Amino acid sequence: MEHTYQYAWVIPLLPLPVIMSMGFGLFLVPTATKNLRRIWAFPSVLLLSIAMVFSVHLSIQQINGSSIYQYLWSWTVNNDFSLEFGYLIDPLTSIMLILITTVGILVLIYSDDYMSHDEGYLRFFVYISFFNTSMLGLVTSSNLIQIYFFWELVGMCSYLLIGFWFTRPIAASACQKAFVTNRVGDFGLLLGILGFFWITGSLEFRDLFKIANNWIPNNEINSLLTILCAFLLFLGAVAKSAQFPLHVWLPDAMEGPTPISALIHAATMVAAGIFLIARLLPLFISLPLIMSFISLIGTLTLFLGATLALAQRDIKRSLAYSTMSQLGYMMLALGIGSYQAALFHLITHAYSKALLFLGSGSVIHSMEPLVGYSPDKSQNMVLMGGLRKYIPITRTCFLWGTLSLCGIPPLACFWSKDEILSNSWLYSPFFGIIASFTAGLTAFYMFRIYLLTFDGYLRVHFQNYSSTKEDSLYSISLWGKRISKGVNRDFVLSTAKSGVSFFSQNLSKIHVNTGNRIGSFSTSLGTKNTFVYPHEPGNTMLFPLLILLLCTLFIGSIGIHFDNEIGELTILSKWLTPSINFFQESSNSSINSYEFITNAISSVSLAIFGLFIAYMFYGSAYSFFQNLDLINSFVKGGPKKYFFHQLKKKIYSWSYNRGYIDIFYTRTFTLGIRGLTELTQFFDKGVIDGITNGVGLASFCIGEEIKYVGGGRISSYLFFFLCYVSVFLFFFLS
Amino acid sequence: MSSFPWLTILVVLPIFAGSLIFFLPHRGNKIVRWYTMSICLLEFLLMTYAFCYHFQLEDPLIQLKEDSKWIDVFNFHWRLGIDGLSLGSILLTGFMTTLATLAAWPVTRNSRLFYFLMLAMYSGQIGLFSSRDLLLFFIMWELELIPVYLLLSMWGGKRRLYSATKFILYTAGGSIFFLIGVLGMGLYGSNEPRLDLERLINQSYPATLEILFYFGFLIAYAVKLPIIPLHTWLPDTHGEAHYSTCMLLAGILLKMGAYGLIRINMELLPHAHYLFSPWLVIIGAMQIIYAASTSLGQRNFKKRIAYSSVSHMGFIIIGIGSITNIGLNGAILQILSHGFIGATLFFLAGTACDRMRLVYLEELGGVSIPMPKIFTMFSSFSMASLALPGMSGFVAELVVFFGLITSPKFLLMPKMLITFVMAIGMILTPIYLLSMLRQMFYGYKLFHVPNENFEDSGPRELFLLICIFLPVIGIGIYPDFVLSLSVDRVEALLSNYYPK
Repeated sequence: MEHTYQYAWVIPLLPLPVIMSMGFGLFLVPTATKNLRRIWAFPSVLLLSIAMVFSVHLSIQQINGSSIYQYLWSWTVNNDFSLEFGYLIDPLTSIMLILITTVGILVLIYSDDYMSHDEGYLRFFVYISFFNTSMLGLVTSSNLIQIYFFWELVGMCSYLLIGFWFTRPIAASACQKAFVTNRVGDFGLLLGILGFFWITGSLEFRDLFKIANNWIPNNEINSLLTILCAFLLFLGAVAKSAQFPLHVWLPDAMEGPTPISALIHAATMVAAGIFLIARLLPLFISLPLIMSFISLIGTLTLFLGATLALAQRDIKRSLAYSTMSQLGYMMLALGIGSYQAALFHLITHAYSKALLFLGSGSVIHSMEPLVGYSPDKSQNMVLMGGLRKYIPITRTCFLWGTLSLCGIPPLACFWSKDEILSNSWLYSPFFGIIASFTAGLTAFYMFRIYLLTFDGYLRVHFQNYSSTKEDSLYSISLWGKRISKGVNRDFVLSTAKSGVSFFSQNLSKIHVNTGNRIGSFSTSLGTKNTFVYPHEPGNTMLFPLLILLLCTLFIGSIGIHFDNEIGELTILSKWLTPSINFFQESSNSSINSYEFITNAISSVSLAIFGLFIAYMFYGSAYSFFQNLDLINSFVKGGPKKYFFHQLKKKIYSWSYNRGYIDIFYTRTFTLGIRGLTELTQFFDKGVIDGITNGVGLASFCIGEEIKYVGGGRISSYLFFFLCYVSVFLFFFLS
Repeated sequence: MSSFPWLTILVVLPIFAGSLIFFLPHRGNKIVRWYTMSICLLEFLLMTYAFCYHFQLEDPLIQLKEDSKWIDVFNFHWRLGIDGLSLGSILLTGFMTTLATLAAWPVTRNSRLFYFLMLAMYSGQIGLFSSRDLLLFFIMWELELIPVYLLLSMWGGKRRLYSATKFILYTAGGSIFFLIGVLGMGLYGSNEPRLDLERLINQSYPATLEILFYFGFLIAYAVKLPIIPLHTWLPDTHGEAHYSTCMLLAGILLKMGAYGLIRINMELLPHAHYLFSPWLVIIGAMQIIYAASTSLGQRNFKKRIAYSSVSHMGFIIIGIGSITNIGLNGAILQILSHGFIGATLFFLAGTACDRMRLVYLEELGGVSIPMPKIFTMFSSFSMASLALPGMSGFVAELVVFFGLITSPKFLLMPKMLITFVMAIGMILTPIYLLSMLRQMFYGYKLFHVPNENFEDSGPRELFLLICIFLPVIGIGIYPDFVLSLSVDRVEALLSNYYPK
């Protein structure tokens, strides 16, 4: 038993040899290494699978024996100060290990196909394996410095991967933005670590908790300082988990390849902030102010994320905002002290979101040959639609993922979200209302994504439309189809109604209008009336999707309350027993089934309401609703209609402009820093250097003057002599 | 233990061997290059050998001592000796000079003189780091300037004369104060000058006098290190000089200031240092922010790196000013770490600039496609420079941070404020480094570039880069490797401040 723990340190180190050999190979002998290509992908998957087997083994032991194991090596030894490196295996770690390795393997397999035509195939594998290593290191770390160490490495991997296609200027600025925003968080994290080191004199988690719990209630240390340090630590988590003030990097991070968005920006790295708070929860729990602050930030984020996701056009960006919102749920759960719910949601969300992102990846993959390889086009939901016919397997996976995220009962996220919702109602009705309302919003925007992508008819030809017609009409048409009723319907609707025959006519019309701007594809469409349809991706990409689908279907079971005679213990709570015992919270989890069902019914009804509205707005069965006159009854009604319209416009522009937060940051911080820069540069050039150059110039002038004066002209000597004599005489005589 | 004059040989060998360059047959540059290279390597190997077998790390005292009379009239001795503090710097000197010689491969104009000057600089630096006599220290300090001035004024960009003049005026100005300090300390309290560092340690001075001395030395080091506001020579010089000179300047020359600050100010003038240390810390913190934000405003990327180098010196100053064991170790670690990273960044910038013939960031872009290797290394070293964990910069900065917060000298509030300001520097550093990377390498446009056929780094440059990269990673992963050199010595030094 014990020996598995002893060798647990290999888990993070396992992928390292492949990374090193690939990295050096790429750097020193690029052509030879590139020729091997797929041969390199295999060992990285293999090693990660070994790590997965290890971590599964560890978790089984954790569930059965649930002992915490820690091992330390000294890193730097100094007399007053020693840093240690080690690993800590506890339930939290083992959960994260399984999560990272499983999602990591699936993403590696997926990206083998997804990236197969890319120039930087191997570079991609190096980065992603390095990311896996550092993420595994992060979750196994046993002290704060080690956390910080891997925290930054993970951030760097994210930087490299966002900027993977470095020739794209947008990617270049996105990766810089991500890194700098994360650095703001790291700044807080580092200061928090230093502060706690100063307060407690230790960086080890367990010492830290012990000291904190003994000291804080007795008020022996400066409580203000403790709160400040805890706040700074939380800042690190805020940046990494894309919480409210520092969330701006996450949507931009979608510039990276899609597998990366699935692995790093949905499942694992962004969960690092949640992990950190969960890890330090014993510390935070004794600071009620910080706890309520955490839950407040969580609530703000979940609501903001959901509203921003409402009208995004880019499929990955909408998913990114949804990730942000779900992370907000986790943060809220941690803030209200329901540790188990937060981790449960972390797990279920990771699988569902990975499924959704990989699904969107395969959508993009299938759209790329049709619309071109620019992310503006291939990820644009305006141009999708009707993909259900062409890529049925992806569609099924995506649908289940969507439903899971919406919180529809048998699927994973339902169980966890329901737990969070009921806990937040218990904690405070205010958070409860917002969280439940957002659950409805979640259902709405997720189903919107699904409907826009898979439902209706393929709107590929729309790209020409969007480039020629003015933007506002286009954007409003996306928001809801039934707005410009009087004018001439919507472009989408007209095609939808008249079917494919009308389709090509329309296109040829546009073709005439726009001339050369249409690519070769639509030209062929206009003339020959043949159509390149999107294709289902290869098996290598479908396999991970299906596995993740299975996970999404069944992972919820680890947290379901089975009514056994043993007691109402779930696997998850059994798993987490030691940690929960640590802060005596388990009493909370004994909800009887009646309460559970009432809670569940309310949240499910909200979700279904959201789904229904989304279907009404974006559904393809337009005629069905038109016949019912349901929408008309909604919309018709004089001033009410106008108000509705205005509201919609407001919400739309709020969401589309990302809540104006990015603009605000650009106006204040970026310009502020630029101003500061100009000021210091002026000071440097003008004042400091100016003095130096001034002294130089002055001495030069004086030298010239003296040279001139002492130039050996008798007449000038005489002149000066006479001058001085006359002055002397003048003063002396008068 | 051994009476063999290792240090004398190490000091004298390069300059003597260098003067033989002029007697070599005129058969092209190749022979001169290889000769210099072999001298550098020989010196480096000798150094390593001597330190491996004749130096005990556990012993905090001065070792490999040599003492012989030189000028009897004013009791001037040729005193050499090293301890844990100077060991790291000397090894760094050997390493960086060898690599700088390798980097100077493309220099063809007047190559004899160039290589001779490099070797002369080598001697001067090792002499400085190993001298145990105050006047000898000063002489070495000045000796160093001559080759640097010539290197700056003869090879480099268009405005090299301006920058060389600026450099020499600044340093000469600092040296006046240095000389006054040396003479004052040597002549205080006795008729015949006592310049031996061993004896000066136990000397005590009246408070005002000590502060005056301290201030005089500080100005000299502030020019070298540089400390704001005496830093403006550095960007000009680095912007104009040839990149192998830049490597020497950034790698070693700047560190002489830090070394002097530790060796003379901390060791000989402890009371004044104790008084001055809060100011040092404040200046250091200001310098980090100030230089970082100035760096952001630079359009010339060499100057941007130069300001980043100034900003990183702030950590050394804070480490020295914190008067803690940890802080001082951090400062020493930062000396080494910046010696590697800063020098390499200048090398990379220089080689990139030689290929593109452009220095303004807004004219650049998309260079990563023709030069992937330079891109990789540039990114790696920028990451190292912005203190990415796993690289030496991180450990050094972290240790300095710990040194500052554990310092018993400062009160809670000022400590918090200073730490806060230093940490803001942590945010600014990636902004300027990454935006430089973005502007140079990312994107696809190649608008203003005269010729589009760049060559990527050849094997010589790759070898050089990897040679530096390995220690950077090594220190980052296992810092004890370097810390063990100086730990005992630092502890002994600090015991002066807090007698038990």
